[in-house]
Amino acid sequence: MAKYLTQRFVYMVITLFLIASLTFFLMKIIPGTPFSNASKLSEAQLSIMIDKYGLDEPVPVQYANYLLNLLKGDLGVSFQFNNVGVTDIIVNSLGPSATLGALAILFGTFFGIILGVISALKQNTWVDYSSTFIAVLGKSIPSFVFAGLLQYYVGVKLGWFPVAFWRGPEYMVLPTIALAMFPLATASRFVRTEMIEVMESDYITLAKAKGASWFEIAFKHALRNALIPVVTVLGPLVVSLMTGSLVIEKIFGIPGIGEQFVKSITINDYPVIMGTTLLFAALFVVVILIVDLLYGVIDPRIRLAGGKK
Amino acid sequence: MSQEKIAKEMFLPAEVDATKSEEISKPSLNYWQDAWLRVKKNKGAIVSMVILVLLTIMALVGPLLTNYGIDQQNIKHNNLPPRIPVLEKVSWLPFDGELTRKNGDVYNAYEMKNVDNYYWLGTDSLGRDIFTRLWKGTQVSLYIAFLAAAIDMVIGVLYGAISGFVGGRTDNFMQRITEILVGIPNLIVVILMIIVMDPGILSITIALTITGWVGMARVIRAQVLKLKNQEYVLAARTLGLSNGKIISKHLVPNLAGVIIINTMFTIPNAIFFEAFLSFIGLGLQPPLASLGTLIDDGFKVLQLYPYQMIIPAIVISLIMICFNMVADGLRDALDPKMRD
Amino acid sequence: MKKSKYFLLLSLMLVISSFLAACGGGDDAGKDKEGADNTAAVQELKMLESTAIPSMDSVMAQDTVSFTTLNNVNEGLYRLDPNQEVVEGVADGEPTISEDGTVYTFKLKDAKWSNGEPVTANDFVYAWQRAIDPENASPYGPYMMDGKIKGAAEITAAAAEKKEYDLSTLGVKAVDDKTLEVTLERPIPYFKSLMAFPTFYPQNQKFVEEQGENFGLKAENVLYNGPFVLSEWDGSTDEEWVYAKNTEYWDADTVKLEKLTWNVLKESQAAANAFETGEVDITGKLSSDVVPQYEGDERLLNWLEPTIFWLKMNQKNNPALKNVNIRKAIAQAINKQDFVDGVLANGSIVANYAVPNEFVKNDETGEDFRSINGNELLPYNVDEAKKSWEAGLAELGTDSVEVRYLGDDTESAKKAAEYVKNQLETNLPGIKVTVESVPFSVRLDRENAQDYDLQMAGWGPDYLDPMTFSDLWLTGGGNNKMDYSNEKYDQLVKDAQTTLAQSPVERYEALAEAEKILLEEDAAIAPLYQRSSNLLVSEKVENFTYHLVGPEYSFKWTSVK
Repeated sequence: MAKYLTQRFVYMVITLFLIASLTFFLMKIIPGTPFSNASKLSEAQLSIMIDKYGLDEPVPVQYANYLLNLLKGDLGVSFQFNNVGVTDIIVNSLGPSATLGALAILFGTFFGIILGVISALKQNTWVDYSSTFIAVLGKSIPSFVFAGLLQYYVGVKLGWFPVAFWRGPEYMVLPTIALAMFPLATASRFVRTEMIEVMESDYITLAKAKGASWFEIAFKHALRNALIPVVTVLGPLVVSLMTGSLVIEKIFGIPGIGEQFVKSITINDYPVIMGTTLLFAALFVVVILIVDLLYGVIDPRIRLAGGKK
Repeated sequence: MSQEKIAKEMFLPAEVDATKSEEISKPSLNYWQDAWLRVKKNKGAIVSMVILVLLTIMALVGPLLTNYGIDQQNIKHNNLPPRIPVLEKVSWLPFDGELTRKNGDVYNAYEMKNVDNYYWLGTDSLGRDIFTRLWKGTQVSLYIAFLAAAIDMVIGVLYGAISGFVGGRTDNFMQRITEILVGIPNLIVVILMIIVMDPGILSITIALTITGWVGMARVIRAQVLKLKNQEYVLAARTLGLSNGKIISKHLVPNLAGVIIINTMFTIPNAIFFEAFLSFIGLGLQPPLASLGTLIDDGFKVLQLYPYQMIIPAIVISLIMICFNMVADGLRDALDPKMRD
Repeated sequence: MKKSKYFLLLSLMLVISSFLAACGGGDDAGKDKEGADNTAAVQELKMLESTAIPSMDSVMAQDTVSFTTLNNVNEGLYRLDPNQEVVEGVADGEPTISEDGTVYTFKLKDAKWSNGEPVTANDFVYAWQRAIDPENASPYGPYMMDGKIKGAAEITAAAAEKKEYDLSTLGVKAVDDKTLEVTLERPIPYFKSLMAFPTFYPQNQKFVEEQGENFGLKAENVLYNGPFVLSEWDGSTDEEWVYAKNTEYWDADTVKLEKLTWNVLKESQAAANAFETGEVDITGKLSSDVVPQYEGDERLLNWLEPTIFWLKMNQKNNPALKNVNIRKAIAQAINKQDFVDGVLANGSIVANYAVPNEFVKNDETGEDFRSINGNELLPYNVDEAKKSWEAGLAELGTDSVEVRYLGDDTESAKKAAEYVKNQLETNLPGIKVTVESVPFSVRLDRENAQDYDLQMAGWGPDYLDPMTFSDLWLTGGGNNKMDYSNEKYDQLVKDAQTTLAQSPVERYEALAEAEKILLEEDAAIAPLYQRSSNLLVSEKVENFTYHLVGPEYSFKWTSVK
């Protein structure tokens, strides 16, 4: 196990290095200017600014500097915010996004799994159809529409929860529900598919024959095997939800990283784009590792590559 | 319990005919025929298929049914609610051309603007006919979604199956590649693609598929990892079946369910991502419409002219629900373990 | 193994139940707060903004949110009042102006920084030198100073060529602690209003140098000399910040408002929702989609911004756009009235001019600049457009023209693109318009590289003078970027800048004449509309003050009823 982990860790570092390099060179070919008032600048001013941000140096030199700074943990300084370090931007805006994402994932998968199990056990009945309907609705209504409706009807009309901002637990309710619809739908669909398959297998028949209770069969025996594809799909979803949903953040006025990131892309704020990309990538490879480890936990039949030796 | 007496006369010696022992009483069906039989039993799936076919037909002929072009603007007739001849007389149907103000007043927008035309599903802020644009948008959305889903499926299944089946070093290497691909946010990739190629339907589709297939590949790989250690695969291998045969005869049918479900989810993802691109100004070039852009536009005026969002939202939901019902039906049907 | 799985499940349940508990608790907290609001101290308001504050360093600021904040927590020589008049800031009374109009001498008040030190003439010299210093590469400093403050352009030019430069050559001098002398390149009639712009604010040298890299990063890294201080602001990523009344401000008696809380909410509909529920008292500027909901509502505040949107017609690449008849046809083929009434429907008006309406008045006569030329330069006229179109096509010897259209980045950009394309293709037979939508940074780049045919663009002024619009179209001008060049136009604008600088009436006439040449003779641009701003202001707010140039709002005079 230790050997496997070390090996994976080395791979992770290589992966991150490649992503860092790739983003760097992508930034070099992406068109556009990082100076938001470029249209007001004379050529002399523009050349001064390009000089100040080191954009006139040869690309290999810039690349070397970038990697050196990266090793020191320095992600550079933003173009849009005067003198603000990329690390600060990420640290400050990741919190709300991660909280919201985690809540949505927990809430979504929990109810998604329950919905999936129920609809698998009651396959092709009205229960199944209505849970399918809920799940499909969750995936087929764009999140901004759902968020907007929630905000208007639950926030303004009913006045149950605050309509916007991020100041405490009651402020998290509406955005969490809006964001949870997607993992809920995804989880319930995959659980249903897998459960139906698993319920056909011999060991479930055996468990039934031995008189195991409905609950025991569904949750102890069947669900465990049905979770593999769910874990696979939800892994990357965790990253994308934790790193922020632009739309939800925008509608509910949440100071998250999703909005920050999209903005940095549209205004070519290179250091922020590269820093955030690297963070996403790092989170992603870690989650992938966890998912791979979870396979073994959930399904002992899968042995990790290192395990054989 | 009362038991009937069994008399000896009730028994007859069985006729043992060697020629008949091999006879198959059920009609001989191949895998797909059998699957089709089972799909037919699932009413939900059949109804959904019919609806999908109808929607596809409407997407193709719908824009031709009115006298309005998809970019025919008439600002004087803008923001009119739906009005359909005959149906407008039915007061409980929302086709009477009436709108409600924020303070609750109901007024007839057609009378107020002195319009005699009938716009079946109303008009948008530029005075374009929504019926025409709706079906054109459906056409564009379906096209993008199908194309993206098909490409995703082919690449994703191949990649995932190879990675999972071969395993070992190859698997490791292939997984690292997908990690890198997914690690780079697709927005950057999409922006690059759109800038390199001319903005349009094709570049959006390609941009969508560049990273889109990774999800499919990962699910397939996980499934293959699970399947390849199962007894029947082992048995097939012991019997000397080639890898290719094992994949096509044993793995693919077992994977069909997951593939279909995943593809069905790629379709809404593609439709939404396209809408998201429009949202940040990188989507379809105006005046082209898709369901995503129609909903996006309608959402902005939701409180004043709700029909502008509700109509495309109903169509998109209908498409999604039908796809899912069909997907479920197919999944149940394609699973070889569920043969009668 | 087994234990860990149950632990996982257990913790999942735990988190969910605590989450649900939190929701329950949240309800109570919400009620408590509402109760508190009813009895809260009166002089407090809440307002929305569309982005967080990018910079609190007046020298480095380049966006309206930063400028607005700086305008309320700091102060320059002058500031703008609710009637858009220039009123005293740190300057004590009117400046003494030399005979030729190039040397201004300002006396300073006994104003104080929030650390107790006095605001001195040296603070201005220091800040202005920082703003022009190529080391800092201020995005606004050279733009505001070049050609205006003596020596500014030379410093920028020298640095661009990597030559030596001397900051002390900049035409700003502290005669003594309370006397500031500014030397201009040429007489500038609107110089006083320029002094209300945040780039010309003072900075305390000692404080800035002490803070070093941290200057302007958080509330405690900024010094204040304005009506308010930033009492809570955690840096550029903070989406909630608070103004508190500055008791040390020289005119603190005028300031009624005790506290103003800002939040970021970008979506207009969400902003309106927050306004409806009383979460905020004033929204930010609303997009045109939301405005019609509040038609006739007294809480909707609407004013005409001096921002014009026009189609720039680039003469560099497309030969058709070099032809004046083709340009005239394009300019006259778009029904602007339908567009502002039907599509925007937010109070914006048709623009048949290149200098906005209700923007500047002549100092001597008190008449609006627009009264000279009126509002009928190059108006919508399909017949004229068709005539020019045919003449243009004949001159070009072709029967079809293809143009690319580069959109703007406002909320109504997509609609505008669809509308313009449709109007041109309907009214001008043989034209084909291809709409290109690209991200903001790419659009800027394309404009700089002049890689477009038609571009929808808006221009808002930086100071109160028609020159901020007129000098755009000078040959080789910084914002021309469409290869427009007309000697007569250049001459008229140059005259207004130099020989006529001190005779307001003739100066306006020269600029009006130039505008006529630009539009009627050359049809260099196709003006479409002048934008209107809309926001929701609660009935309890009194004296809400917006501005037409630079910072958007002032709260010095605002109070709660």
